[in-house]
Parts: sequence; structure tokens; C-alpha cells
Amino acid sequence: MADNRNTIGGSTQAIATSALRAQQARMRIIAENLANANSTSKTAGGNPYRRQAPVFLPTPVAGGIGVKMARVAPDSTDFKSDYEPGNPSADAKGYVKLPNVDPLIEALDMRQAQRAYEANLNVIETARAMDMRTLDLLKK
Amino acid sequence: MDLANIPLFSMLRGRLGYLSEREKVISQNVANSDTPGFRPSDLKPFSFASQLKAATSQAGVQAMTQPGHMQAPNAHGNMAGVKPIRAADSETTLDGNGVVLEEEMMKMTDARMNYDAAISFYQKSLGMLRSAIRAPGRG
Repeated sequence: MADNRNTIGGSTQAIATSALRAQQARMRIIAENLANANSTSKTAGGNPYRRQAPVFLPTPVAGGIGVKMARVAPDSTDFKSDYEPGNPSADAKGYVKLPNVDPLIEALDMRQAQRAYEANLNVIETARAMDMRTLDLLKK
Repeated sequence: MDLANIPLFSMLRGRLGYLSEREKVISQNVANSDTPGFRPSDLKPFSFASQLKAATSQAGVQAMTQPGHMQAPNAHGNMAGVKPIRAADSETTLDGNGVVLEEEMMKMTDARMNYDAAISFYQKSLGMLRSAIRAPGRG
């Protein structure tokens, strides 16, 4: 991103691009959570899939403050459990621990990520248009 | 003779610099719209009065008639007024993030429109200069 720093919208575009990357990484985590919404433990009585949450952090990018996904933190909320004695993952009492993934929350998160992605695309588009407008001074 | 020494042009340049800087600050806000604890910022408004003051004080500076004359400090082009300030937020989420995407989008459109206007002004002024230097009778 450092190579386009000398144009007017260069750092603006670099900042927005860092946000696009971060939102994409977030989408990937949401996909993981949704895919594993029903993943129980391999062993009897063990812990199932634990929901992952992205942690965003402001980061210096090309002369401005962009964003990056600093780490992926496990969600510490408790697992739900269901009484299913026939399930191979059930413990001695017949209870199966289920992942702490709530599809509704994931859907909302996904919507938010999409909205943020669109907003950042908008920023890039505007910065580009402003650059082009400046270049138009050379015409005529 | 430098274009930047014409007050109108240097003011327009200052305006363009301010607007692209503002665009950058807005892009920072939008990029961090989901970062916990992030507070959005904005630039101080670009005031006509301060620019006018700088321009008129510049006009009173003595002209350089000899190559050895020292150049007067130029008040234009420096970005004294573009210090990010904390913007008052209308809503802050539970994680301490105060960015409102809608507001940022509006500010962005505003900056873009002003930028287009300033560029048009610049273009028109260049056109006027051009017609002034054209040889008479050549249309």
C-alpha cells in the first residue's frame, strides 16, 4: 500500500482497503461459526465447538489509521446442553454439550460486516473519483 | 511568477488539501466502524476568515525585486487548520464505538461535492488566465 501514498486519495484508499480485509476476515470467522453450529465433541462428554469472535484493532496504515483483525478470541459463554442418551457425544448421564453458537447473532454480525464492507467500498469509490477529478485538470 | 502566489489559487489549493485530508479522516472513521472503543474524529471547519486573513497579509508583503532578497514566509499551503478534533457523537455502542456510518457517509458526500466545486473553480480561473495570455485577435 505504500507505493500509492503520493496520490491524493492514496492513503484514504489504503485505509479503506485495510478495513475491507478486516471485514473479510470477520466474514470468514462467521462462516466458521455457522458451519460448526452443530459440531459436538468427538469424545463422549467432551466440549463441543466454541464460538470464535474477531477482535479489531486500529493500526497505522500509509499515514493514517486503518484497522486490522488483531486476534480471534474464543467466546466464553456457557455451552447449551441437551438430553440425548443415544448421541455418541453424550456424557454418562446422557447429556450432550452443544456449541455456544447462536445462528441469529451470526446472521446479524454478517449483516453488519456486509454493511461495513459496502461503506468502505463507497469510500474507495469517492476517493478515486476525487483523484480523477483532479487529473481532469490536465485535460483541455 | 508562480500560480501559488495568486491568492485565489493558493486559497483553492488550501481548500483542496483540506478536503482530501478530511476524506482521509472520514475513511479512518469508516474503517474503524466496528473497532471497540474507537471515537470518530473530524477536522476543524475550513474557515473563510482565516484564509482571507492569510491571503491579505500575504498581499502586503514586499515584493522581491532582487535575487538576493530574502523570501517572506508564506502563510499558504501549510495545514495549520487541519488538526483532527473529536466529533460529538450521536450514539455510542456498548463497546465504546462512536462511529455512525450514516453520518460518515453524509460527511463524505459533502467533502466530495465541495471538492468538485473547488476543482471547477480552479479550472475556471485557469481558463481566465488562459484567455488573458491569448494573443489578441486569435479568438
